[in-house]
Amino acid sequence: MKPSVQSTTSRLVAITLGCALLLSPPGVALGRDEPKNPFDGDAAAGVEGKQLFLKTGCYACHGHEAEGAVGPDLTDDDWIYKPTDAMIFNAINRGRSGTVMAPFGDQLKPEEIWKIVEYLRASNRARKAAAAK
Amino acid sequence: MKLRSRHLLVSCLFTALIASAVFARPALSADVTGDMLLGASKESNNWRMVGRDYASTRFSPLKQVNTKNIKRLVPKWTFSLGTLDAQNTTPLVHDGVMYVTASHGRTYAVDAKTGTMIWQYAHQLPEDVGKTMCCDIGNRGAALYGDKVFVTTPDAHVVALDMKTGKVVWDVELGDYKNAYTMTVAPLIVKGKVVVGLSGAEYPTRLFIEALDAQTGKQAWRRYTIPAPGEPGSDTWGSDPDNLKYGGASAWITGSYDPQTNLIYWGTGNPNPDWDGVGREGDNLYSNSTLALNADTGAIQFHFQYTPHDVWDFDGVNENILADIDGEKVWLHGDRNGYLYKIDRTNGKFRYGKEISKVNWATGFTAEGRPIVNPEKVPSYTYEAKDICPASEGGKWWNPMSYSPEKKMVFVPSREICTDIKSAKGERVEGKPHWGIGSIKWNKGHGQLVAFDARSGEKKWTVKAPSPFMSGVLTTSGGLVFAGTPEGEFKAYDQDTGKELWSYQTGSGIVGSPMTFAIDGKQYIAVPSGYGGWTGWATVGGGGAPQLKDSRKGGYVTVFGLYE
Repeated sequence: MKPSVQSTTSRLVAITLGCALLLSPPGVALGRDEPKNPFDGDAAAGVEGKQLFLKTGCYACHGHEAEGAVGPDLTDDDWIYKPTDAMIFNAINRGRSGTVMAPFGDQLKPEEIWKIVEYLRASNRARKAAAAK
Repeated sequence: MKLRSRHLLVSCLFTALIASAVFARPALSADVTGDMLLGASKESNNWRMVGRDYASTRFSPLKQVNTKNIKRLVPKWTFSLGTLDAQNTTPLVHDGVMYVTASHGRTYAVDAKTGTMIWQYAHQLPEDVGKTMCCDIGNRGAALYGDKVFVTTPDAHVVALDMKTGKVVWDVELGDYKNAYTMTVAPLIVKGKVVVGLSGAEYPTRLFIEALDAQTGKQAWRRYTIPAPGEPGSDTWGSDPDNLKYGGASAWITGSYDPQTNLIYWGTGNPNPDWDGVGREGDNLYSNSTLALNADTGAIQFHFQYTPHDVWDFDGVNENILADIDGEKVWLHGDRNGYLYKIDRTNGKFRYGKEISKVNWATGFTAEGRPIVNPEKVPSYTYEAKDICPASEGGKWWNPMSYSPEKKMVFVPSREICTDIKSAKGERVEGKPHWGIGSIKWNKGHGQLVAFDARSGEKKWTVKAPSPFMSGVLTTSGGLVFAGTPEGEFKAYDQDTGKELWSYQTGSGIVGSPMTFAIDGKQYIAVPSGYGGWTGWATVGGGGAPQLKDSRKGGYVTVFGLYE
C-alpha cells in the first residue's frame, strides 16, 4: 500500500524537525519548571566560571569583568528579558539571533556554561553589595 | 464602442502613470569609469569612493550650503538601515543613487533625492561570525566601478553586485572567518582592480591586502603585511617562528592612491598579541605602518612605521590623506599613538609628528621619525604602567579626518583619554581572542575636534566635547566642517574658528562618516547614525566616557538640504 501524500509530508516534517533538533545545540526549557543552576552560590564554581569566561574570549565583547564593551554589561540588572539562570544558559549556548552574540554550545560543556552563569550571578551580587555600602 | 474606447484610454493612462512612476527613478545606467574616479576631486555632484577622491580628502568643492545659510539646513529624508550595531559606513552617490552599506552584511541602493529604496542586498552571514569579530559587525562602505557595486562582508567575502539590480555577479571568499579572518573595509578601485584589506589582529592571524579583478573577482595580487620567513623584515619578530604566522597586522582602513607615483598607500594595524611584547622582540614589521605598494603588483616600494614594537594597541591602520603642500608631495596621517604625521609620499621620509592629544608614551622623535619610548609607560607582566597617554584608541581613532586643500588645514576627530595597563601571557589559539592583557583601565577624559595647519602642524583651534568624536569628518568649500557625536548630534563648525554653527539630533550615536552631493543643482548632506563598535574604552574599569554606557542603538541615514 502506498503511503498517502499527507502521511509522507507529515513524516518528512517530523524527520526534518528531528534532524534540526539533533543538529542544533541543546537548550533548556524556559518557564515555570525551568532548571536552576546546579552551581548556584558555589564560590569555587564562580571562580572557575570567570576563567572560562576569559578563556572562551567572552571578554572581547563584554570586557574583562563582564562590565560591557561591544556587548552589554552582564553584571547589572538592565536586561531586556528577565535574566533567569536558564535564559542566560540558553543565550551562551545558542547565541542571540540577529545580534553579535554567537552560540558557544560547540565549545563549552553544559556544566561549564552553568559555571559562567554562576560567575555572572556572583558579579551581580558583588555589585549590589558594593552599592549598598 | 465608445465605452470600450474609454476603457482603452483609461488603461493606457494607467499604464503610462505606472511607467512614469517606474522611470521617474534615477536612470541607474551610467557606468562608473576609471576617469570618473581619477577626476573625483574636480567634480562636485557625486561622491563615488569613501574618501571622495584618491587622496582621501573627504573635502567637497560644493558650497551652496555655507557658513552664511547653514541655519536653513533641514532634514529632507531618513532611511532605515534595517539593522542595529555599528553603522560605520560612508554613503556613496553616483548619478542620483545612494549606495550605502550597513552592519550585519547589508547593502542598499536608494534614490538619493527621495530616500526611496531601489534594491537591497543581504549577505547571508553564518550565525557564529560574531565570535571572531573583535569590534562589532560593522562595515565601512562600498566601492563603485563599471556597472558594479563592491562590498566586503564580515565573513571575509568580497562581493560584486549588479549596480542596477543588486544581484550578485561574483562572490569570492578571502579567508576563514572561524579563524578570525574577517572584513569591514570599504574597497578601493585602482586600475580595474578591487583592493581590500583584512581585519583580525586581535586574534592569531597573518593578514594581508589583496587586489581582485573587478570583472571576475580573480586574484591579481596579495601582499601579506607580515613577511614570510627569510623575507626582509622577517628578522624583526623575535625568535619564535610562529610570530610570522600569527602576528596580525590588519589592514581594515581603505588606502589612498597616487596615479603619478602609481602607489597605493595602505595602513597596517597592531601586532598580535596587542599588549604583550614578550617573545616578539624587534620592530615587528610591517605592523603599525603605511605601506607604499606598487598598484600593479602589490610590491612594497617603501614604508613608514609609526609605532615599532607596539605594546599599547596603537594599531596604526588609519587613513593616509595625500596632499601637495608648498611643492611637497606628502601624506597626512593621524595615528592612534597620538601624533599627526606628515610624510614625504615619494620616499617615506619623516617631515613632522605633532601631538593631536597628550602624548607621554614617547618623549619625541629621532630625525628619522622613530619615536623615543618612555620606559615608564611600557607595561609588563609584573609592572602596571600608569596613566599612559593616549589610550589604545588614540589620539585619533579610526574615524577618518578631512583635509581642505583650499585652506591647507586638516580636521582631526580625537579624544583625551589615558590608560593603566599591565600585560599578561595569553594562550595563542586560532579563532580565539589573544590580547596579552593582564589588566587595563581607562581614565576619564573628553573628546575634541582639532584643526591643524597642515603645512606646519600648528594647532589652529580645538573644540572640546564631553565624549570622544567617533565620526568621520567632512569639509566643504562652503567653509564648513561637519562631524557627529556618539550622543547622535550632527554638527557643523566654522572651518576658520571652530565655532559651532548648527546641530541636529539624529537619534543614535554617529560612528560613520558624513558626505555631500548635489542633484538638480541642490546640495545635500548625508550622515549615517547607529551607535556601536568596540567601545570598551568608554566603560571598562570605570571607563574614559562612562556616560556612553548602554547608548541607544539605531540604524539610519539622514539627508539634509536647505529649507525652501
